[in-house]
Amino acid sequence: MRGFSWGKQSVRAGVVILLICTVGLSGCAQGSSSATETVQQAASLPKDELVLAVGTEPEGGFDPTTGWGQYGSPLFQSTLMKRDAKLQLVNDLATNHSVSEDGLTWTVTLRDDVKFSDGEPLTAEDVRFTFETAAKSGSVIDLTNMADVEAPDATTVVFTLKSPQSTFMSLLTTLGIVPEHAYGSDYAEHPVGSGPYKLVQWDKGQQAIVEANEQYYGKKSTFHKLTFLYLDEDAAFAAAQAGTVDIAAIPAAFSKQQVNGMKLESVKTVDNRGIMFPMQPAGAKSGDGLPAGNDVTSDISIRKAVNVAIDRTALVEGVLEGHGRPAYSVSDDLPWSNPDSVFADANIDEAKRILADGGWVDTDGDGIVEKNGTKAEFNLLYFAGDLTRQSLALAAADMVAQAGIKVNVEGKSREETKKLAYTNAVLFGWGSHDPLETYNLYSSTHKGEGYYNTGLYSNPTVDHWMQQALKATTEEEALPFWQKAEWDGSTGFSYQGDAPWAWLVNIDHLYLVKNGLDIGEQQIHPHGHGWPVTSNLEEWSWKEETK
Amino acid sequence: MEWARFVGFKMLRLLSLLVGVSVVSFILMQFSPVDPVEAYIGGDMIRVSAEQRSLIEERWGLNDSPAERLLTWGQALIQGDLGTSMIYRQPVADIIQERFMNSVALMAVAWVLSGLIGFGLGVVAAMKRDSRLDRLICWYCYTLASTPVFWIALLLLMVFGVWLGWLPIGLGVPAGMSTDQVSWSDRVIHMILPALTLSMTGVAAIALHTRQKLVDVLDSDYILFARARGEQGVQLFRRHGFRHVVLPALTLQFASFSELFGGAVLAEQVFSYPGLGQATVQAGLRGDVPLLLGLVLCSAVFVFTGNLIADILYRLIDPRMKEETIG
Repeated sequence: MRGFSWGKQSVRAGVVILLICTVGLSGCAQGSSSATETVQQAASLPKDELVLAVGTEPEGGFDPTTGWGQYGSPLFQSTLMKRDAKLQLVNDLATNHSVSEDGLTWTVTLRDDVKFSDGEPLTAEDVRFTFETAAKSGSVIDLTNMADVEAPDATTVVFTLKSPQSTFMSLLTTLGIVPEHAYGSDYAEHPVGSGPYKLVQWDKGQQAIVEANEQYYGKKSTFHKLTFLYLDEDAAFAAAQAGTVDIAAIPAAFSKQQVNGMKLESVKTVDNRGIMFPMQPAGAKSGDGLPAGNDVTSDISIRKAVNVAIDRTALVEGVLEGHGRPAYSVSDDLPWSNPDSVFADANIDEAKRILADGGWVDTDGDGIVEKNGTKAEFNLLYFAGDLTRQSLALAAADMVAQAGIKVNVEGKSREETKKLAYTNAVLFGWGSHDPLETYNLYSSTHKGEGYYNTGLYSNPTVDHWMQQALKATTEEEALPFWQKAEWDGSTGFSYQGDAPWAWLVNIDHLYLVKNGLDIGEQQIHPHGHGWPVTSNLEEWSWKEETK
Repeated sequence: MEWARFVGFKMLRLLSLLVGVSVVSFILMQFSPVDPVEAYIGGDMIRVSAEQRSLIEERWGLNDSPAERLLTWGQALIQGDLGTSMIYRQPVADIIQERFMNSVALMAVAWVLSGLIGFGLGVVAAMKRDSRLDRLICWYCYTLASTPVFWIALLLLMVFGVWLGWLPIGLGVPAGMSTDQVSWSDRVIHMILPALTLSMTGVAAIALHTRQKLVDVLDSDYILFARARGEQGVQLFRRHGFRHVVLPALTLQFASFSELFGGAVLAEQVFSYPGLGQATVQAGLRGDVPLLLGLVLCSAVFVFTGNLIADILYRLIDPRMKEETIG
């Protein structure tokens, strides 16, 4: 009896062990087979397909009238105009455009051979519909300056503006045209457009699969099928290491690690970081009624000394691991920035001289200069949790300390910063393909409204030049005015002028790219990592030797 | 009659719970420093004029007083309308439904695994008390219990996803594959890592509690008596231990619904798994009140259901409970 029961137990134990083994083995077998599968899949992926992990998911879907395509290109839709690698304007849907003398009427003529991916022709009515829908959508597309849009015939669109705005061009380059006949409440999930690609499948929270649009009128891409994975930075890097993606956007912190079969490409940007100074003495009020002004930073010699004391090259090397370049304005190397705004920095002696000339002297020997009993000391705020901003702020504070200025670096939440930005220096980041940003940062019209011009900077001459720039009827005509607003030889918002900002660095955008994949000549990317890399997809190709 | 009273009572509690939870969440969102418009605009803030900003506010109904907004939301809810998400620009009900289907499978697998493994480990540890195996199990459980979910997730991701390359690093389906080609095995393979992560954290609590309870039971007089009769091992456990330890284990297991939900949020975030977690994080960070309230209600119902099932099972397994509630 006893023996039997022992036997039963051992049988049971045996069965359990067997089960564990089979489960374990089958797990391993399955695991390794799927591993080889992944590798093979990656290796044997047809050359006309790509897997990209370059940006976050547009939660609102692919509807241009609610914000899709503001960065990079709308992909499924086409725009009236676009910017090439040199950021010059070129026609897309438009064949020609003209602006009336007073800058209020914009007339755009369209190609007549464009079809949407469903085969229906694209007409001026669709353009009118798109702009009207976007104006009503209550989204990030700001069309509040557009009074009216008309389509007098099938290939002509006429925009009427409330006030002259040469930067209206940015809307023509970013707003993708949607078809009136196929637009409905589910358009964002099932976009129909005239762009180079059409959406095949969108697995929300995971990926979007797109295929080439046969109806596309422009230069066709070499790649027939693209899969965009929506992974965050860590996951994207892991995916690159695992060999599942052809291109991945990664933060600078990962740039030192080698990934097999991939090369690191850094793309020049205007994704900048700079210090905004309160320009008024303490006691001022912001537009929203918050206290504003700072007695130290309102002194021009302090701002200039900070500007000139900072070693921007060292910031690039030390904080950005070399993936960036010094910044001297909000729009470095963009057509509307003034090359004269560049100056020789990392000069502590010059900073000391400027301070001494401005009446700032260290009388009590504590290493900090004073003027009329006020110490040269101010707070510098950054968004807590942003490691790059923190490092930049700390490093910059160390640099200006040598000149005798004490900067207290403090991390604050965005919400706190918003309230404190009018009385403290803040480390902000901007950079856009739209000169309107320059206007909003420096013009006195919007000073103290939300994040606009929180330093309350105001210079009538600068305002005058920027008004001229807005009134210009073409972008080329506007460019010199934007440049003059920055520095016209006697005043401006550059270092040589009022120095309301100390710009620090432009941060390169980093991409891991499969060996052999050529991503063409990239534009200078705007603020916002990821999508902009797709703006020239039609130029991407595999290099000859890898075919 | 008695069951009807039970059900009615529970329904009332659920209702009051839901009302309470939504009011409290709404008030918390009001006090949250996140400005939804700013969070929505994000990087475009310098290109959006003050005028456009007020247009956005108007569209989202942010100009009404908080009380008015809550009331409007409540009225719509009674008619079965959860509102429209600000960031996804889609009905909240649709988003939750879509995401829930993904999450529920993940959570179910993790839940069953953690329950079975945890209970088994606890029983083995207690039966072999103070042996090397017991100590190993305890050590394992303490380690797990003090480890954050996301860290386990990252570890698994690195080992199995990147180094060994056995399993995909994320997502619920293979990259670039159209839906009709995705097979069940694909989905299962993509679920392994998140489910494993999620179940691992549940294991510790169940195992440790079960072990402790069984240790107490084994110290009791009736076990001493049973041992004296010559009972031991599996037989002893089956006859005298099981009923005593299965109840607390069940309670824990069903009470862990809330942890399951919280864990899923983190695990899904790490593995880019398209469940409720992702949506919850987005809704919270960007001040999307309708979506967040919808998710809060959904999770409240979910956790409540867990506890309710535990209650019902009690009454089925242990008849004494039924008498107590009647008395």
